[in-house]
Amino acid sequence: MNDPREPVLELQGVVTRIGSQLIHDGVDLTLRRGEIAALIGGSGTGKSVLLREIIGLMKPSAGSIRLLGVDVWAASRAQLDALRKRFGMLFQDGALFSSLDVADNVATPLREHAQVPPGMLAQLVDLRLSLAGLSTLAGSKLPSELSGGMRKRAAIARALALEPEVLFLDEPTSGLDPITARAFDRLLRFLCDDLGITVLIVTHDLDTLLTITDRVIVLGKGRVIANGPVDQVVQVDDPWIRSYFEVRASIIPGALPD
Amino acid sequence: MHISSPESACRLQPESGAVLLILSGRWSLVRLEQLDRELGRLALRSLVGANLRLDGSALLSIDTAAALLIWRSIAQAGIDPAAVGLSGFSESHRRIVELVRERLGELGGRQQARLPDLLSSFGRKLEDLGRLLLLHLSFLGVAVSALAAALFMPRRLRWRELLAQLSQTCTSAVPVIALVMFLIGVVVAYLLGLQAAQYGANIFVVDGVALGMVREFSPLLVAIIVAGRSGAAFTAQLGTMRLTDEIDAIRTLGLSVEQVLIVPRVLAMVLGLPLLVFVGSVLGLAGAALVCASMLDITASTFIARIDDTLEVRHYLIGLAKAPVFALFISVIGCSMGMTVSRDTRSIGINTTSTVVQSIVAVILLDAFFAILMQELGL
Repeated sequence: MNDPREPVLELQGVVTRIGSQLIHDGVDLTLRRGEIAALIGGSGTGKSVLLREIIGLMKPSAGSIRLLGVDVWAASRAQLDALRKRFGMLFQDGALFSSLDVADNVATPLREHAQVPPGMLAQLVDLRLSLAGLSTLAGSKLPSELSGGMRKRAAIARALALEPEVLFLDEPTSGLDPITARAFDRLLRFLCDDLGITVLIVTHDLDTLLTITDRVIVLGKGRVIANGPVDQVVQVDDPWIRSYFEVRASIIPGALPD
Repeated sequence: MHISSPESACRLQPESGAVLLILSGRWSLVRLEQLDRELGRLALRSLVGANLRLDGSALLSIDTAAALLIWRSIAQAGIDPAAVGLSGFSESHRRIVELVRERLGELGGRQQARLPDLLSSFGRKLEDLGRLLLLHLSFLGVAVSALAAALFMPRRLRWRELLAQLSQTCTSAVPVIALVMFLIGVVVAYLLGLQAAQYGANIFVVDGVALGMVREFSPLLVAIIVAGRSGAAFTAQLGTMRLTDEIDAIRTLGLSVEQVLIVPRVLAMVLGLPLLVFVGSVLGLAGAALVCASMLDITASTFIARIDDTLEVRHYLIGLAKAPVFALFISVIGCSMGMTVSRDTRSIGINTTSTVVQSIVAVILLDAFFAILMQELGL
């Protein structure tokens, strides 16, 4: 089942129209097990929309999306429910339930979808918090008492609750200071390497791209205009890509301080 | 020593100088309960002191939850997880098993919150209540001084906002108040009529209904309806504005939050509630007149003439005079609860509920206070 060559995600000819506006005009891409891929593109190119289509929140006008071997938009309700337990999603501001403390936020998917032996739930929640780089003391805090970085970690802990095979992240480092953002990047790399989770990030953060991603997918004009490791994408002759990477005077992949 | 059948997910196998705990198949979160049972069957407790080793050569997959289950069972059996050897694991499986073992010490499992004892929770409630009253008092001061500033300098008043609030709290409340008060008038006249008719004292029903309606029922009930309607709306609106930083934005733009948000709301309610009480009185009397005409043979013109004869105008004025006081308390409670929501969605709900409860209690307390005051004054 865990064949590393098996595609985790396959998009074919995805077309999205919102009103009269054509957002995607045939997007094709594949994601393989155990890689961290980043989805970038100018604002309005439909990155977040694509993410919502992949996880089954918004229906594309045409095309097919296969996630973990399931056609998301042809699957039955039961199949989709089963699929939802196999991926995690981190929304932009975390989307933690504000009335529950952090531990209860993490415990919610476990209580709903897993049969955890009595007495083990608290330990399992602590393990999730610890994997997300939070002190277990944070468990008793309410989301409103957390800093932005901690909130994102708590949201990651919740997304990890059910041992997902794939993790989707929408702008995980936006609104974080550079130090916190880099620590977050290392966390993602650790999740990918040590837990074997496949990660797709929608991001604007150049540092994230340069330090932790295996592959960069660039959306533009409704299509994928570049797809490959950062050093290849940099070479692509496209005005948007050029100006995007020119923001940083020198680009040396992997050369950012740890 | 118990040795399970080979199909099970785990079994024990003695080896020279050690005991192998052989894991096989899929160890994953979805099978956690079953795995827990199988581990339980192994009676690990009997292995204390034995040289235990985990063998993962037959393992197909393992995730962190299942790894936690293994380490937890081993630790609960009284065996030190750190002393357990690993063999036969694939690289990725070993990493997960090791990862969880390293973190085992951090995972205390939080302490269950202690049930608060009755006395201390009573004390805390009282303290909260005291703090709340102080809060409202200081907010009342802020509102009144802002109101005074606006009245002395009418140019500072936000007319547009005031009119918008008037339309929301006053005009749009007319239908519901008209309906409720009309029906109350019907009910009160009917009940009084049942009693009075036995003594042939039909005409006194008019006296009773008119006095009760203009002096007590209309101010009280209209204030309660408005508290539930607009007081709650004030809290929800201001609370959401606080959550979305709009209130901070108003401050930052150099505007006065009191003048922009509080004064229009308080003023609109203080001006609007007496008008609504008037509407309520008229409709209540109309409802009573209907019952009098159909049940007690008192025609509408007799009804009006009787009111003209016997209802002293001071009763009506007392009823009307209560309205602005009620309005001030309702709007101050609504605004102050809205300005003090904490930054999560739940507290908007809590504060809105609290506003409705507090303002209704405040209205009834004030009404009782008025009754005593009027009696002492001989009015």
